[in-house]
Amino acid sequence: MRRAVLALGGTVAGLILLLSFRSHTAVPAAAGVAPSTATTPTTPATSAAPSTPVPKATKTTGAGTGTGAGGSKVVTGSVISSAYGPSQVAVTLTAGKITKVTILQHTDDGEMSQEIDGPALPKLVSETLTAQSAQIDAVSGASYTSAGYIKSLQSALDKARA
Amino acid sequence: MLGVERRSAPVAPPFPPSRPAAREGACDGAPARRRAAPTIVLLVITGGLLAVLALWWSDTPSVHGLGDYLTGAGRILGLMAGYGVVVLVALMARLPPLERGLGTDRLTRWHAMGGRYVVTIIVAHALLITWGYAVTAHEGLINEAGTLLISYPDVLMATVAGLLLVGIGAVSARAARRHMAYETWYYLHFYTYLAIALAFSHQFADGASFASDLKARIAWAALYLLVAALVVWYRLINPLRNAVRHQFRVVGVRRESADVVSIYIGGRYLDELQAEPGQFFRWRFLSRNLWWSSHPYSLSALPRPDVMRITVKDHGDHSGALGDLPIGTRVVAEGPYGTFIPEQTGRRVLLLAGGVGIPPLRAMFAMLPAPVTLIYRASGPGDVVFGDELEAIARDRGATVHYLLGSRDRLGRDPLTAGQLNHMVPGLHRHDVYVCGPAGMTDSAIAALKAAGVPRKRIHHESFEF
Repeated sequence: MRRAVLALGGTVAGLILLLSFRSHTAVPAAAGVAPSTATTPTTPATSAAPSTPVPKATKTTGAGTGTGAGGSKVVTGSVISSAYGPSQVAVTLTAGKITKVTILQHTDDGEMSQEIDGPALPKLVSETLTAQSAQIDAVSGASYTSAGYIKSLQSALDKARA
Repeated sequence: MLGVERRSAPVAPPFPPSRPAAREGACDGAPARRRAAPTIVLLVITGGLLAVLALWWSDTPSVHGLGDYLTGAGRILGLMAGYGVVVLVALMARLPPLERGLGTDRLTRWHAMGGRYVVTIIVAHALLITWGYAVTAHEGLINEAGTLLISYPDVLMATVAGLLLVGIGAVSARAARRHMAYETWYYLHFYTYLAIALAFSHQFADGASFASDLKARIAWAALYLLVAALVVWYRLINPLRNAVRHQFRVVGVRRESADVVSIYIGGRYLDELQAEPGQFFRWRFLSRNLWWSSHPYSLSALPRPDVMRITVKDHGDHSGALGDLPIGTRVVAEGPYGTFIPEQTGRRVLLLAGGVGIPPLRAMFAMLPAPVTLIYRASGPGDVVFGDELEAIARDRGATVHYLLGSRDRLGRDPLTAGQLNHMVPGLHRHDVYVCGPAGMTDSAIAALKAAGVPRKRIHHESFEF
């Protein structure tokens, strides 16, 4: 009996440890910056640094830029693959400001994805417009969707500023 | 051939062992057989567990919010369970290094404890995944459970598998086993293989760690295939190979007492088996009544290159039919198993036998160097077997036999006390003691030995309780 209690107690403790160590967005954001404001106070200076290394993205394909109407520029980000499908966004920049984010591809791999992406994507877009960068928090419960969105967004911004 | 007919088989005489009883590096040049140390086995199992957890770690970008936490916990437990069942099967695969190094009784205990744990985390996995998905999708628990079962086809199979394992777990509980025949429980337990097969596909179809990670899928499948191959080889093919090579057959049956019978199994090249006194085989007698069951019985005499002997008490469905085994019945014998083997330590040895525990100790008695003492505890004179043999061995080898007769109820006390033991065996605390008998008797005997000053590590016994 004592061994059973020890085993189960140890399991619960281990689970809590493992999950809490992963409980911040480990998304490799721009400039190789440490994870989001949710956990450690990141130094603000780094977030504005324009010298960005290429973000770690798996199986990216080429992306391009195009000009929209009236002096604004539309930049398409790389396709980010994940277990739940591809993510790709296009950013519309007007006079250097992000004015629109278009979802070109989002993780769409069965019923679960549709349930998650529905509420998550608009939230990510509105946060992007507020932050004017890819330094946004992931949406709770939509880790993969958020990660794919943020990576693709960052790659679009890099291309725009390159 | 012994040229025996039924009921008149000669007593297998005591004879010098064909190889020294030392376990490692035998002086006759035979290579020391590999045995796995318990610590190493635990380290390997833990290493595998860490690798599995690392897989989860590397496939999970972040955990954010209650739904993620619940689903994350569910996924970790699922991975642990998928790994755990492989470990459980491997423990019971009758791998020679594990059998030699850990011993059948310890492997069984580890399997039983691990089994209870794995079934528990499987249930927790199912509940946490359902709950986590429900929170993320803002659905009720029942709805989410229904969605999971219906829209993810492999999940239905996995759920059946989980229920099957819970059922087998319930049936394997000590309280349940007391009420059923051993064979019933044994054959029910084989449904675990079905459960593992049913649950396998949902690991790849629904497991986040596997869905896009080809390397992980390959490694996982390789692990399962490896253990499956080991099981097929060591539990199915090897016993048949051995049966063909050694041609085991019943060559004699002798009634030792009212309810005890000895069976002589003949064959060829039996010395290749390297069976040592105290070890047992799993015997499958291919007669019409008994072919479907396999039972472990210890050798009750030193094995000869052409004959082995077991001695069995008549109780239960299986044992009772053994007295009627036709001569010439083919046998499939797996083994030898067991680590209840006397070590050459130079210390004096005490053998403590209770009732049905006499066979392995009778085998040891015939080869241990003097001075060796045998204490034979039995309910009454009619329950003593091998009386003549024991006297002959004692005479020829300068050993001593003490009989402690009378059941505890009638005597009103337990004759196996520390005081009595010290009185019968001078210098008891410097002995190596080998104990074998029914569970109650061995428990009180071991307690008495400890009270008499014998260090725990010098008290040897095998316990198949689990």
